[in-house]
Amino acid sequence: MQTVITTTCDVAVLHLAGRFDAHEVADMDTWFREATTRKPPRIVVDLQRVTFIDSTALGKLVQAMKHCRQHGGDLRLCGVQQPVRIIFELTRLDRAFAIFPDEATALETPWEPVSL
Amino acid sequence: MSMNDEMTLHMRLPASFEHLAMLEPCITTMLRQAAPGIDTTLRYNIILAVHEACANIVEHAYQGQPDGQIAMACMLTDAPARLEIELHDTGQSFDLDQVTLPEPGTVQEGGYGLFLIYALLDEVHYLPQPGGNRWRLVKYLA
Repeated sequence: MQTVITTTCDVAVLHLAGRFDAHEVADMDTWFREATTRKPPRIVVDLQRVTFIDSTALGKLVQAMKHCRQHGGDLRLCGVQQPVRIIFELTRLDRAFAIFPDEATALETPWEPVSL
Repeated sequence: MSMNDEMTLHMRLPASFEHLAMLEPCITTMLRQAAPGIDTTLRYNIILAVHEACANIVEHAYQGQPDGQIAMACMLTDAPARLEIELHDTGQSFDLDQVTLPEPGTVQEGGYGLFLIYALLDEVHYLPQPGGNRWRLVKYLA
């Protein structure tokens, strides 16, 4: 999995590419821990170039999103493509995450506290 | 969708998360050859379901044991067009009926693997047996 990390206006942006699964998610633990220590923690995860997501990676995104929201921030997703989107739809987590079509929209949309 | 000859693929892979990436090219190649008209989303869903079953074996049956193995047989048949996948492991067994699946809409950090297997496939059978556990997964392709 390829990752590119940028920070824009106090928002940590994670661009992922390739597979995001149980094997790759271990490498992301440290990044998520550090990114969620910001106050308030604001994260955008760009999934546009992700070709596969499994339930373990999904759980990692949920865990980070919950942590962000508990501390007044949020974890937003953008660029979720088909067929990768199916995992969010089947679990109905597409209703729990704030999902944006692209990174620019995810960054520009005002950040307000979100309840779990 | 037109299917070519019936086909069976056998593979054995180390039970580690790292090796589960091998499932995608193997199943994709098999489906492209034997069922060239198969929808991309259907193919992805099959791969995701098999991946989740194998990840379950890695995490729960072998519980991180480094020498575990997963034996897989994929059988494509015509009339009806369907893919049957058998997985065999020699790790710990579990009672499928005792597993509580997440309610769709609840925001959980884990426990979605088995839920996805059921949601993505048409038949899911788990047979704990002496000497090993067997999953039989079926997806109808037409």
